[in-house]
Amino acid sequence: MNRILLIILGVVSAVLVVVLFIAYLLIMRPYNVMVEKDETVSSQWSFVESSYQRRADLIPNLVNTVKGYAEHEKSTLEEVVAARASATSVKIDAKNLTPEAIANFQKAQEGLSSSLSKLLVVVEKYPDLKANQNFLELQSQLEGTENRINTERNKFNVAVMDFNTYIRKFPNNVTAGMFGFSKRGYFEAAAGSEKAPEVKF
Amino acid sequence: MKINHKTVLILLCCLFSTMLFAADFPERSSTLVTDYTNTLDAGSLQTLEQQLVAFNDSTSTQIAIVIMASTGGYEIKDYAAQLGEKWGIGQKGKNNGVILLIAKDDHKMAIQVGYGLEPLLTDALSKRIIEQVLKPAFREDRYFEGLQSAAQVIMSVCAGEFTADQYIKKTREQKPKDASMLLLLLVFVIVFWVMKRKVSRYARGNNIPFWTALLLMNAASNRSRGSYSNFSSGSGGFDSGGSSFGGFGGGSFGGGGASGSW
Repeated sequence: MNRILLIILGVVSAVLVVVLFIAYLLIMRPYNVMVEKDETVSSQWSFVESSYQRRADLIPNLVNTVKGYAEHEKSTLEEVVAARASATSVKIDAKNLTPEAIANFQKAQEGLSSSLSKLLVVVEKYPDLKANQNFLELQSQLEGTENRINTERNKFNVAVMDFNTYIRKFPNNVTAGMFGFSKRGYFEAAAGSEKAPEVKF
Repeated sequence: MKINHKTVLILLCCLFSTMLFAADFPERSSTLVTDYTNTLDAGSLQTLEQQLVAFNDSTSTQIAIVIMASTGGYEIKDYAAQLGEKWGIGQKGKNNGVILLIAKDDHKMAIQVGYGLEPLLTDALSKRIIEQVLKPAFREDRYFEGLQSAAQVIMSVCAGEFTADQYIKKTREQKPKDASMLLLLLVFVIVFWVMKRKVSRYARGNNIPFWTALLLMNAASNRSRGSYSNFSSGSGGFDSGGSSFGGFGGGSFGGGGASGSW
């Protein structure tokens, strides 16, 4: 009698271990991993945002420097200032990184990128400006900042891809639905950048 | 119950290897100066390497010089930042790495700076090093002189910001990840199912409780197998007179720096 009780107890605890294990596998672990990956996406987003902010912060200085040498380019300069204002007005909450929000943000920033590159083309006409030390510094900072934007965007996309792939897999999709995790948005690559160039070591 | 450490290790390695990038990057170098083009002769290579290793040993700041043929169509500064990130130049957490990448056939160079050094080695300063130190030297094919003086400037700028303590207590003890816990549980369950019948027969035969029987049988099998499982994962850490480079520390890059061409 006692032995049967012990066997039952053994089987029950074995079943309990298996049930706990399955719960861990299906719910607890996916949930925790999702939280982690989501945090990575959010923190990477803050890097993206601050690199764009850094660019916006450079612009007043750049505009002032150019103004001193290229009085005739008023319309181009005004365009840059206006594009900066509209780009900085688009802000996204890190909790709301939906594909639509990202696309909006990207569109606003691209307006600034294109008016900035227009300005840099115009500047070519002014050799005095191009020799100005202050302008050269600003130009190298701008280049560095564009590269930061690029780098942080790539890292952000990698984090988003990791998150999106994870929540779409079975059984994670069920857990994701249960806790309201939804797909995050990507930055679209610039046209023509999808080809893989060949690297030589 | 025994878990073969080797299997766990192999499984963990498989898990981590899937996390690597698939793009075109050379294997992580084991030296700070890496020349894929044989531009530098052995003596120059050695001199540069020793200076940079000494700097790494005293400040934990890692300055890597990489000379390759071409980055293809990739923007060199972007490629350099990604390579720095991938190799993990600089220490984890401090992100105090610098990569100086030369694409010889493209006649292009880039300096990329880890997050931690961005306030010191600014974009404008990086640009100035490229324009005033590297470019004139490279135009006259004086690669070693150019690289050495650039390295000197970078070292003098970055000196003092970080000390070696970070380097010394480098990731020696790695915490077992979540996955190993899972594996442990999995192995436990499997072993449990396999042994259940045997153990319960043993338990009934000797009139002892199931769990006691399980433990007893385990102890017995442990003894018969001896100390085979005393396997420790060799991390390959050794000191050879302080002149060898201990490996990259996992630093991260955000795209700060500059690039240029000659």
